[in-house]
Amino acid sequence: MKVTKKNIGTILLFLVPGFLVYAYLVLYPILQSVVMSTYTWDTLASSRFVGFNNYRAVLGSQMFWKVLGNTLIFMVSTTTLQVLIGFLLGYLIYLQLKGYRLYKTLYFIPTVLPSVAVGFIWNYIYSPGMGLLKPLMNAVGAGAHYIPPLSSPQLALIAIIIAQTWNSCGIQVILFNSGFMNMSSEVIESATLDGATGWKMIRHMVIPLSWDIIKMVIILQTVGALRSFDLVYVMTGGGPNHATELLPLHLFVNAFQNFNIGYGNVMAVLIFVLAMTITVVMRKLMERESLY
Amino acid sequence: MGNQTKKAVSGTDELVMPSPQLAVEKKKTLVWIYIVLTVFALIVALPLIWLLFSSLKSQADLTMNTWGPPKQWMFSNYLKAWKGSKIDKYMLNSVIVTGLTIVITVVTVTPIAFVLSRFNFKGKKLLYFIAIAGMMIPIHSAIIPLYMMVGKWNQYNNLGVLSLIYAAFRIPISIFILEGFMTSLPRELEECAFIDGCSVFRLFFKIIVPLTKDGIVTISILAVLASWNELLVSMLLLSKPALKTLPIGLMGFITEYNSEYTQLAAGIMMAIIPSIVFYILAQEKIEKGMIAGAIKG
Repeated sequence: MKVTKKNIGTILLFLVPGFLVYAYLVLYPILQSVVMSTYTWDTLASSRFVGFNNYRAVLGSQMFWKVLGNTLIFMVSTTTLQVLIGFLLGYLIYLQLKGYRLYKTLYFIPTVLPSVAVGFIWNYIYSPGMGLLKPLMNAVGAGAHYIPPLSSPQLALIAIIIAQTWNSCGIQVILFNSGFMNMSSEVIESATLDGATGWKMIRHMVIPLSWDIIKMVIILQTVGALRSFDLVYVMTGGGPNHATELLPLHLFVNAFQNFNIGYGNVMAVLIFVLAMTITVVMRKLMERESLY
Repeated sequence: MGNQTKKAVSGTDELVMPSPQLAVEKKKTLVWIYIVLTVFALIVALPLIWLLFSSLKSQADLTMNTWGPPKQWMFSNYLKAWKGSKIDKYMLNSVIVTGLTIVITVVTVTPIAFVLSRFNFKGKKLLYFIAIAGMMIPIHSAIIPLYMMVGKWNQYNNLGVLSLIYAAFRIPISIFILEGFMTSLPRELEECAFIDGCSVFRLFFKIIVPLTKDGIVTISILAVLASWNELLVSMLLLSKPALKTLPIGLMGFITEYNSEYTQLAAGIMMAIIPSIVFYILAQEKIEKGMIAGAIKG
């Protein structure tokens, strides 16, 4: 349709409220965050411009590098685990054997639960007192090796990665499954007739045919790791000794507990820039002519 | 982009789905497939079953018998947890916030998606790009200025303001999904409408909105999932106990009941039941919504 003098009023009425809310509560704060990252606060009421000082402080802070390292480990591990498991289960469900709907339903349940509840459940699984983990290790004869994972600097991050995977892997299962469902059934059938089975089928047919969805899941999951706050906050609060502190929590602690607002905003800018960069770079890297 | 969304969405439509005639002939393969499926099913289910059992045990039973089913079914744990917490209050607050978020999202986004999908004008592409650019913005990147802004307005502890912020962050993805839905409606709709002397207003309310019902349901469901479980923003903006939403109320409850595990487990069970019920009622729509929301051109 064309915009005419008669309907332009209505059109503006349709566009303006939503864009106003969006501009004021999403775009403007982002810009403000960039500006605020160049200020320092002497008190909550008075601030002054300090240029790139906050950025220098961040780059010079050992804690920052540790947190960045944690975030990268978290990002790579959760993505790898969830892509592998999501692909596997998404594929097995796609085979539509008897009872597949029940499995599909079950796998998705953890993703709808409040993360506070999920954090609580996993805290207790790991806990030495009443947890599931210790008796489980006892049962397989590894009981002597049990240490409470959440209080061990070496194990805490791994423990959270497992909880996070439990929490959100169902989404990947569904996404992969939908990708497989979209493969042309004629192509798959003719490949089957040509004798493609098992691995061959997956490598030469399924992966190329569903490459778009694989790409998307990897990007979503990687960027998603930059937003992971809840489980860490609930389960360990970033400890022990900052072993599980990720960027969002680092932002939270600096801005709202230490009142280092400038530093916090540098984190905000960094999270934003990383999210954008990763999306663009990964999309470029994984570009690949699809089969057809 | 819209087409792709549609395609992926209809991909999960199990009624029209082609049955993949894959060769799973060997019995041995079949057994292995079921073993893998079941192992993962157990990994998902066991923690939840264990939570359910714990919530029905007596404290002594829980200490002695970590794994098994309760010896005595202590439904009183639930009663105590219900009375000892304000879980009903938290749920009510979460219902209010979620409801408001849906209303604000739908009311602001539907007209925008309509204009962007059905009209041609200069700068439309740019406007669409700006609108969906926000999809990649994590709320963390805006949280400090937002917090200070709300403070300036003196609007902490205001469920409406919290909902408005939630809705604002739903706008990009919701426009993306709805625009896709509306673009796929046939062009002839408008022509007929205008021959009948229909105004833009009427066209929108009488024709477009009813035909986009599915899309509106999808963006609403995604809004429910996002706002019902949100922790960080609500934690920063709400401090009054009477106004806490379920996630932050639950946090407080966990700290308070730290040593009474069975009641704690009962409280957590009560907190997750609405989510599970919602999922079971709206399973297909939730899955479709997730897929529609995830696909970005």
